[in-house]
Amino acid sequence: MQILTSSFRAILAAGSVALLPGALASQDIAIRNATLITITGGDIENGTIVVRNGKISAVGRNVNIPAGVRTIDGTGKFVMPGIIDAHSHAALENGINEGSESVTPEVQVQLKNDDPVIYRALAGGVTAANLLHGSANTIGGQSRVIKMRWGMPVDSMYFKGAFRIVKFALGENVTRASSTAPADERRFPMTRMGVDFTLRYWFTKAKEYDAEWTEYKTAAKSNPNAIPPRRDLRLEALTDILHGDLKVHAHSYRADEILMLIRAADELGFKIHTFQHVLEGYKVADEMAKHGAMASTFADMWAYKVEAWDAIPFNMALMSERGVVVSVNSDSDERIRRLYQEAGVGVRYGNMRVNEALKMITLNPAKQLGVDKMVGSLEVGKDGDIAIFSAHPFAPGAMAEYTIIDGKVYFDRNEAVTLRKTAAQTGGPGGAR
Amino acid sequence: MSRFMQRGAALAAVVLPSIAMAQASPGESTDYLIRGGTVITETGAKLPNTNILVHNGRITQMGANVTASAAKVIDATGKFVYPGMIDANTGIGLQEIGGVQTMSMRSEMGQFNPHIRALVGLNVESEILGVTRMNGVTSVITSPSGGSISGQATLINTAGWTWEDLAVQRNAGIVINLPGGGGGRGRGGGGGGRGGGGSSEATAAELQNFMQASQDYNTKRTAGVAKLDLVYEAMRPLFKKEVPAIIPANTEAQIKAAMDFADLYGLRVVIQGGAQAYKVRTLLAQKKVPVVLGSIQSAPGDDVPYDEIYAQPGLLNDAGVKFAFSTGNGSNARHVSFHAALAVAYGLAPDAALKALTIWPAEIFGADKDIGSIAQGKLANFFITTGDPLDLRTQVVDVFIKGRQVPDDDRHNRLYLKYKARPLPVVTP
Repeated sequence: MQILTSSFRAILAAGSVALLPGALASQDIAIRNATLITITGGDIENGTIVVRNGKISAVGRNVNIPAGVRTIDGTGKFVMPGIIDAHSHAALENGINEGSESVTPEVQVQLKNDDPVIYRALAGGVTAANLLHGSANTIGGQSRVIKMRWGMPVDSMYFKGAFRIVKFALGENVTRASSTAPADERRFPMTRMGVDFTLRYWFTKAKEYDAEWTEYKTAAKSNPNAIPPRRDLRLEALTDILHGDLKVHAHSYRADEILMLIRAADELGFKIHTFQHVLEGYKVADEMAKHGAMASTFADMWAYKVEAWDAIPFNMALMSERGVVVSVNSDSDERIRRLYQEAGVGVRYGNMRVNEALKMITLNPAKQLGVDKMVGSLEVGKDGDIAIFSAHPFAPGAMAEYTIIDGKVYFDRNEAVTLRKTAAQTGGPGGAR
Repeated sequence: MSRFMQRGAALAAVVLPSIAMAQASPGESTDYLIRGGTVITETGAKLPNTNILVHNGRITQMGANVTASAAKVIDATGKFVYPGMIDANTGIGLQEIGGVQTMSMRSEMGQFNPHIRALVGLNVESEILGVTRMNGVTSVITSPSGGSISGQATLINTAGWTWEDLAVQRNAGIVINLPGGGGGRGRGGGGGGRGGGGSSEATAAELQNFMQASQDYNTKRTAGVAKLDLVYEAMRPLFKKEVPAIIPANTEAQIKAAMDFADLYGLRVVIQGGAQAYKVRTLLAQKKVPVVLGSIQSAPGDDVPYDEIYAQPGLLNDAGVKFAFSTGNGSNARHVSFHAALAVAYGLAPDAALKALTIWPAEIFGADKDIGSIAQGKLANFFITTGDPLDLRTQVVDVFIKGRQVPDDDRHNRLYLKYKARPLPVVTP
């Protein structure tokens, strides 16, 4: 294998639509004679999968490939559902934190479509991601779930049908524990007590606001001149949380804070849909499971700050054993390239079953983003979002060779290498060695 | 980690915290016979059904018929015995929680600190040592950082009673940051803390002056006409080529500058970082300059191929460059074998990957008489697995360091066992 310099610019220059002109025109594709890791139906050796019009039309051993459908020989290869990252900040434009106030659920992250991280995530088998607001605020902004449709306009990347998701946060980032500013120049809240109160204060207001609107809507039925309450976009977003229309993904580390948020949510009448990071989730997994919260964690990140001191790589296994739906996320432009390795850490530490570990980057994050009816497993009727690896994704030697979304090839390893060589030969951008 | 579950569950039932390091009575070391395992040599060759006898911390005999009645027997039938892995650049023992400045002791004041020794600054009770060894990483380089000459790196085992006990090669090399050099790469991640990477603030002229003064001192001292100076004295092992200069360098220009610097002053050099070392691989091979790769679990710059950092170990190997893997920080040193797995996926031969985790770093830092492979006379540093340590599905079942079976009482396993056994909550109103 050969590295030729700076082909990335060359790929950009060659134009993303030129990545694979044939395949982009069609949403039909088949892979034959591969090991199919279906996630929901076991592994199928010497299997064939067919995608027609962007949807999986057949999965199994004895499957006929319709004439004319582009077919990839999968001999020796492993085919799995496209990898889903439940926590990324890739492709975000102009900052990820609206940090001016600690409660900002009315804002939403803004995207750009030319972030190389999208391409590099594709090159690691990733087909979808939850692009979250940062963790500066007790109640942060709304995220955007995307498919990694590299080269498409921003609004064509949105994953239609996904949950609306809002970021909450607990701990050192919210209280700005590492801030060196004097106390009188800092923002409320700066303690865990303050975070708890912030939640109570705003959801109490939101419930009053909700009641005002309910009262108005009732009155409006009989009185056309009834006066509506003044619209407040912040309280409206909080009301959406109370109604379950806006799902809470809560950045969290410590068990005491996780439990505090669960109890606050219980009392105030909303649900924590998914805890993000949740490094000490293993300590309160029963409480999380009872609340109905899911977990999206790091495979193994610890010791980088005080609140990460009790993080352990067994977290994934322990939470899963207690009935929590667990995903493993990247939160990083580096880890998003090799989430398959991160999932495998759950096998090394805690001896998770291989299929359960693979669920952490497929079906489980799909559940957390509300897209599990469409993606996350190789099943007939689901979207043709597929990653093809050179070996089992947990084996040394595992390399993504093709990444396919809606039946279109968005990453083709051979094509990428060929483009590099062409760029080098023609003296194109970055072609000089 | 199945041993930790099996053994741990039993231990948890008895008394978890008081696990003795050695199994023998006070003052004695235990002999071990590792029986029936498949021993993997540093070339990747598999020696089936090979017994290993461990006495006084070292491997004293190996072979199918080796036996010893007084030794404690470890049954490795059906399992694999690998040489302990080495992470060739970390801050382990000098830093603990990255975000806590009082726990970060990697960078001393001033610009020229060849006399500063990492070994004596080590925290032997660092929790990071425990979690590192449990994945089969039995030795690490711990290096100081910052300034122009950061100090003396040390090669240590990941288990031991004192810093003297930890030491494998007390002075493994002197870290020198060239002006405009390649310091500061290395991942944020855990345990970064103050001064994660070297970047010299001294000018080229200041460094030149210091090097020339050091050379002058060395000449005079050899002739017996200079008074002892602790700073310049610490430079002498470099000029005698007893230890290498460890120079952070990533780009082609930086690496060439590092080699020129070494030639100018007659030093042995180890390139640290080497993000684009493949661009000078022919030269590196010609001059026999080894490379300690920085974390390859890194995001590439915008202008480079997506797989450049994964693919270059394979290119270095093909060109005949000796190299080692490193994680660059402390907390994730145990994942160094997963770095190697990425390199294998993108073209590195599996036997070379194993060498780069074991015998090559041992050779680079002059410790191959003690560590780096399973061989008679070497320290008994090895670990027992269910398969290839680069495969995430493999379980590490036992770890030996300096002939001692290391206990499974690391911080992460303690918390794991404690909360695995947590009963269902009983909430009182």
